[in-house]
Amino acid sequence: MYSIETKSLTKSFGDLTAVNDVSFSVEKGEIFGFLGPNGAGKSTTMMIFTTLLKPTSGKALIAGFDVMKDAKHVRENIGFVQQETTVDEYLTGRENLLLQAKLNHIPKNEINKRIDEVLELIELSDKQHQAVVTYSGGMRKRLDIAGGLLHHPKVLFLDEPTVGLDIQTRRKIWQYIKKIHIEFDMTIFLTTHYMEEADNLCDRIGIIDGGKIQVIDSPQNMKNALGNEIISLVIENNDNHDLFLAELNKIEFIKKINDENLKLILFTSNGTEVIPKIFQISSDLGIKIVTLSLTQPTLDDVFISYTGHEIRDDKSKFNRKIEHAKMKRLRA
Amino acid sequence: MNSIMYDTYTIFWRELKRYKKSRSGVLIRLIQPAIWIIVVGNIFSETQPLIQSVGFEGEYIEFMAPGVIILTAIFTSIFGGVNTLWDRRYGFMNKALTSPISRSAIALGKMAAISLIAALQASLIIGIALAIGVTFPNPLMIIPIMGIVILFSLGFSGISVSLAATAKSQETFWGMINLLGMPLFMLSPALFPLELLPNWLAVIAKLNPVTYTVLLVRELMTGVSEGGVPIWISIAVLFGFVVAMVAVTSYVFTREVNKPF
Repeated sequence: MYSIETKSLTKSFGDLTAVNDVSFSVEKGEIFGFLGPNGAGKSTTMMIFTTLLKPTSGKALIAGFDVMKDAKHVRENIGFVQQETTVDEYLTGRENLLLQAKLNHIPKNEINKRIDEVLELIELSDKQHQAVVTYSGGMRKRLDIAGGLLHHPKVLFLDEPTVGLDIQTRRKIWQYIKKIHIEFDMTIFLTTHYMEEADNLCDRIGIIDGGKIQVIDSPQNMKNALGNEIISLVIENNDNHDLFLAELNKIEFIKKINDENLKLILFTSNGTEVIPKIFQISSDLGIKIVTLSLTQPTLDDVFISYTGHEIRDDKSKFNRKIEHAKMKRLRA
Repeated sequence: MNSIMYDTYTIFWRELKRYKKSRSGVLIRLIQPAIWIIVVGNIFSETQPLIQSVGFEGEYIEFMAPGVIILTAIFTSIFGGVNTLWDRRYGFMNKALTSPISRSAIALGKMAAISLIAALQASLIIGIALAIGVTFPNPLMIIPIMGIVILFSLGFSGISVSLAATAKSQETFWGMINLLGMPLFMLSPALFPLELLPNWLAVIAKLNPVTYTVLLVRELMTGVSEGGVPIWISIAVLFGFVVAMVAVTSYVFTREVNKPF
């Protein structure tokens, strides 16, 4: 049985389709990441999985239960850590966990044991009786995550778990997530727009853009598919542009070319052999190369190769519309 | 059923914890009713003959003290729901909604907590009233009076929680609250006897649950029944109001929080 299974999941807000015909499944015990820019449909998908939104059409099963027909059972089997930290500032760390335990119907005689257990895991035992208002951002996030796994859910949902945290704190949170995964053998589903995070944590990644899944694979496979090197070159405008591209495509080591007008990105192997060939072709066609660089592929490059734009690139009209709808919903 | 009680208590516990940690608000919220009882109570002291004309023998301030106790309950409970908006904005609501507790329990827990807080505020106002010379013929009556305040606030907080769940913005919420709070207070015998109201106003006042609550508290506090409303009718109206508000609020709250915010 899969921990998460969706079939043609679609969610529209009016004429805007935030999640468009998404089908995939997540194995039990997997750490699965949804990677995409703001407005790609990550949070909407997660809200459907956590029963906060009803899909317009399609199906989603969480731990075997239908999010539409059996929401109560879904809720009993999930932990949800939201993007914003939601711990109560006025309560102490322990009181926050106590509240979480009660919300999730943990048997009375188990509550204290469970709280001690997670406090130890996130290394907050010594601060547990202080009001959360005195905690740092990273500590709050840890407490929030602890609250999500207190009841040993089958599936833990983490929505952008490290957004807004500094890089050291981010790494620390990753360590905790890995620790949780090993200790409780949970399926973890997370969304992120940090490449490094997806690369670091996830067994498999789904790249989502414009409400559609572009590709699902392990980070390593994705990078390998691009070859092991990337050549970026900037050329001057020339009438022979298309011819130049056609010639480059003939080079056997080049697997894929992204043409961003005057900036070309070549996914390749044997980069050192390819470069002289590029110079040869360009001089034959009279094309002037402004810059050229050779790098190792990162998930960033994977992302660009599937979506045609960078992850930070929020300029498309689609994204702005989603953001607008989101802001309208959030307005308080 | 057992689980809804447990869940309601969980939310009730959380709301009270939060209230306890924000104690500075307690005194601030007492200022307004204190001003009413001290300032208005004395400004209108010369209206004693009017009050006496409907059979009330005491001072004006003794006549209006029950009104101010209910004023405290009205405003504490009608403002009480505002944190529902914060909860939705800052994620606690989503946390609760994705846990197995029922939606109604969230609303009921909030209402129960607000009503207890309102009763606490009202008891402080009773203290102020005693301090400035209002007397109780029978001090034991404070117990049923507190019971009435708790019941009334439970019902009244339902208005606030429902509005907060429906309103998408602070502005809408506060607008609605202002639209409702003062008129409901004014259209009751809190400050002047029902008999002295013009007919058309008296008719409106008799549709207002605040009216019956004020009459009940006044009867228990001063021993004078007024307005020609038998005590059992007042009690029946109060209970009816509370039951209706609990039902309506559970329904409205559940419906509203299931919509995306």
